[in-house]
Amino acid sequence: MGAVTDDEVIRKRLLIDGDGAGDDRRINVLLKSFTKWCNSTGSPEEGFTQYQRMLGTLAQCEFSMGKTLLVYDMNLREMENYEKIYTDIEQNITSAHDKISECKKEIQRAKRIRKNRQEYDALAKVIQQHPDRHETLKQLEALDKELQQLSHIKENVEDKLELRKKQFHVLLSTIQELQQTLESKYDCCRCALLRQDGLWVCWTVWRSLYKGWV
Amino acid sequence: MGPVEHLHMSVFSQSFSPCGRFLAAGNNYGEIAVFSLSSALSPDATDLSQTPILTFTAHEGPVFSLFSTDSHLLSAGNGEISAWSWAELIKRVSMFINAPLCRSSLEIPEINAMTVNPTENSLVIGGGDNNIHIMDLESGIFKSVLQGHTDYIHCLSVREREGEILSGGEDGAVRIWDHRTGQSVHCIEVYKYEECARPQYGKWISCLTTESDWMLCGGGPSLSLWHLRSMSPTSIFPLSGCQRQANFYQDMILSVGEGQCVSHCLLGGEVKAQIPCTPHSLNTLALNLNSTDNRVLTVGGSSHQIDVFTNLSYRTFSLSF
Repeated sequence: MGAVTDDEVIRKRLLIDGDGAGDDRRINVLLKSFTKWCNSTGSPEEGFTQYQRMLGTLAQCEFSMGKTLLVYDMNLREMENYEKIYTDIEQNITSAHDKISECKKEIQRAKRIRKNRQEYDALAKVIQQHPDRHETLKQLEALDKELQQLSHIKENVEDKLELRKKQFHVLLSTIQELQQTLESKYDCCRCALLRQDGLWVCWTVWRSLYKGWV
Repeated sequence: MGPVEHLHMSVFSQSFSPCGRFLAAGNNYGEIAVFSLSSALSPDATDLSQTPILTFTAHEGPVFSLFSTDSHLLSAGNGEISAWSWAELIKRVSMFINAPLCRSSLEIPEINAMTVNPTENSLVIGGGDNNIHIMDLESGIFKSVLQGHTDYIHCLSVREREGEILSGGEDGAVRIWDHRTGQSVHCIEVYKYEECARPQYGKWISCLTTESDWMLCGGGPSLSLWHLRSMSPTSIFPLSGCQRQANFYQDMILSVGEGQCVSHCLLGGEVKAQIPCTPHSLNTLALNLNSTDNRVLTVGGSSHQIDVFTNLSYRTFSLSF
């Protein structure tokens, strides 16, 4: 038990003042010189010098104590500073993580956009190969008009054809009637009159036809 | 598995687990290897974590196609489809692995592509008999057969919103099917378009993927981006070699095929980057979008190594069979 506490004490003392050339020794020396000065039998000058020397040592001790206190304060403040820097860095790390995930999402979006753009381009290439819609529409309109005109002409021609057919039909039927009446058994004068009438009818029909034809 | 077999190994298919922590890869010997991505990507990963946690023989022939549903891993080889439970695979219960949960046999020579139509909960299978078979996942019954291709089918894709199935085959045609009526709605013969066609390679279509109104297809003809509403090719990608798999990712297109690199292309038609990788020719590309921690791209091809990319710009490490 005593050995343990001795070890502790030795360890603590070594920690505090391991080199053995510092304050601890100075305090011991001061104590020794003080007791020696108190029990001194020498001259008052010697006593005075010793007294001065002791004051000097005391001052040194005080100085070193002050220095240690300052160092201690400095260490405390340094610790605080490091704590602050540590928390700052942690915050930066988390914000960087967030930014990274944001950027990853951005990249996904950008890739999708790029893909869409490329699909669009590919389709556009194909579409470009086909002719323009306006031009095709115009061509279609022109063709429509032509078609209409041609059908109009066709109608006209058909109407004319119908008219001619009818007129020829009339002519042929009158000729036939005349033939029939001429071939029937009537006397000569009436024959001649009828023939004249028939001829006149023929002539008028022929004239109208001729006029109409022209 | 001796060194000679390793030399001749090709990885044909990959699939990520639904939790995103495991990768299953199938090779030409009929084996499936399960890798633990979380341990391979962890900071204290060793060489051992880049080897599979479990390897088992799934089929007699090569495993051409792997697909993961929410709880099962479906593997397809020469005419048979097996379903394995992911929970058991993760627990590495290898003794029970020899008998998969269910096995369906079809009379078709090989199954090249499998995909799931989530709206109908059906499995769409394309294979060597020129037809597409649709199987109901709940009951395992084959619902319908889509006929129309004149040669075997390489790749499948599903457009959920429109309810269409797209298939590309050796006959050079990309057919769009309506899954309800089972009729071919459109047929695009890519090799007939001058700007896409590469007659020196042939007319087969080996990679097909869709995203909303856009479709990527390639193979013999150059990899091209199509707008499905107008059925017209909008961009052609100047990649030499035939592309075997392509994916849309964010604003880019990732594509692998002949050639020792992963190509990054922009939708406009330019090749932005070509990242080198270990296999000399790549067969499969898979993106792990299921998990946020293990977002990786893995590629496999004519090598026993599967390259893993954590950052798309460079190869991070390789998993080895």
